[in-house]
Amino acid sequence: MAFRRAIDFRLKTRLLTIFLELILPVGAVAAWWALSAGSTSVYFPPLSQIVTALRETWLFEHWSTDVFPSLENLALGFLVSCLVGIGLGVLLGLLPIVADAVAPVLEFLRAVPGVALLPAAILLLGIGAETRISLIVFGTMWPILLNTIDGVRAIDPMVRDVAESYQIRGLGWLRRIVLPAASPQIVAGMRTALSVGITVMVFSELSGTTNGIGFQILSAQRSFAVPQMWAGMILLGIIGYLLNIAFRGFEHVVLRWHRGMRQLARS
Amino acid sequence: MTATEIINRPSAAVGGAPIGSSALGLQLRRIAYAVAAIIVALAAWQIGVDSGVVNRAAVASPTDIARAAGPLITKNGFWSAVGATVRSWSEGLAISLLIAIPLGLLIGASDLFYKLTRFSIDFLRTIPAVALVPLALLLYGATDRMALVLIVFGSVWPMLLQSMYGVHQVDPIARDVARAYRFRRRERIFRLVLPSASPFIATGVRIAATMSLLLAVGAELFGGAPGIGNEITVQQQTGNIPVMFVYVVVSALLGLVVNLVLINVERRALKWHSAERSTSV
Repeated sequence: MAFRRAIDFRLKTRLLTIFLELILPVGAVAAWWALSAGSTSVYFPPLSQIVTALRETWLFEHWSTDVFPSLENLALGFLVSCLVGIGLGVLLGLLPIVADAVAPVLEFLRAVPGVALLPAAILLLGIGAETRISLIVFGTMWPILLNTIDGVRAIDPMVRDVAESYQIRGLGWLRRIVLPAASPQIVAGMRTALSVGITVMVFSELSGTTNGIGFQILSAQRSFAVPQMWAGMILLGIIGYLLNIAFRGFEHVVLRWHRGMRQLARS
Repeated sequence: MTATEIINRPSAAVGGAPIGSSALGLQLRRIAYAVAAIIVALAAWQIGVDSGVVNRAAVASPTDIARAAGPLITKNGFWSAVGATVRSWSEGLAISLLIAIPLGLLIGASDLFYKLTRFSIDFLRTIPAVALVPLALLLYGATDRMALVLIVFGSVWPMLLQSMYGVHQVDPIARDVARAYRFRRRERIFRLVLPSASPFIATGVRIAATMSLLLAVGAELFGGAPGIGNEITVQQQTGNIPVMFVYVVVSALLGLVVNLVLINVERRALKWHSAERSTSV
């Protein structure tokens, strides 16, 4: 009986939490809808128009011509960054002298705002997808690389010793000791990289291209198609949110052991 | 080459080992290696451009950049561009700080506010600030106001989130002690909550600073707001690639300097906390 009551109670608080969390966004959207309903402002059209524009423009007409190419560039760039960043990061993390030596160069490269290279990248690589993908790689690689180096270097010496005494070497050592131990930091770097990546993706579509989400939003703005512009902005917001949720799922799986350890340490 | 000198300073500052005579030797050797690495990188860049592997019409070589930088840095236009970027960037960060910290402390301290706002903040923070470029352009045109709006929107969330998080991390024992000593609200905020949350806020500021430089340069590059980004566009359009690269290098140096300053301030201000930082963040 007591057990069931406890579950009941937990369910109730859970529902209450969800309810509380939803008040503000639902209220805000409702207020936006109501307040903008009679809006004659050019810049702030009624929300109903924006929703119509969202449905007409983005569902699903421009999906294959604009949304997919954008996301494809992002995914490819992010993937390359992860492979290169983690690979090179592990290598440098295991060679502290080299890592120290190249640190200033890497810090400098990280400090270059990726978008500042767009004009040069267009001149160098043309206006194809390669330009955009390379820029995304350039923007996202450094946080992953630098965090991986830090993570690998911070491995507990005792863990190294234990691995040594159990004669765990080679690939198994990398896969079972080094990568897991560094993974919290690697994942943190990837999270930073993802938000930089989305930003670079949109910026890279604002010039020298004729498709992509960023291009569509900008051309809507240039032709004063304001509802379409708002629709694009909302779409970007939704994409950003979904990517974030997807990443959180990934983090949940990859760092499961780490959460367990921290709970253990806390109790 | 002045750029080399500026770049290699961090390695000296970052090491932080106690300065004994052997530690000094180690430090010197480390610096020497770092300088060597910089020289190798610059040489590779130079050779890449000179040999034609990298198209000279797109990428300037280090010597070209150095040659272009000399006359450029005596010009007013250069400094006003750099000043414009620094101004909108620092103003944006300051405004975000003023919004984010009080709000973060408030939300973090109240369970009800926390629950009420959690989903909304989570959603808003994932909206890439670039999404606002068209709207900001429409409302403000190609001005520094436009850049400012973007910067504030991009940097307010990491700071807000970090300060909320920081308040949540106040040690329960310290909280009980404060209650036992009957701290007043003022005391509780300034002597318990803010100090406990400050490492987290500092991290938020650092994340925001990097992101907002990207946004500032982007807003200038594509929105035409005055500043370094705008100069990059102008120089590219006139085909003056070395000068364009001077601006690219300057933007990177800016990011580097700010990051260094923030890390140093953080380290100095939070010395008492450094042991905990390494495990908790």
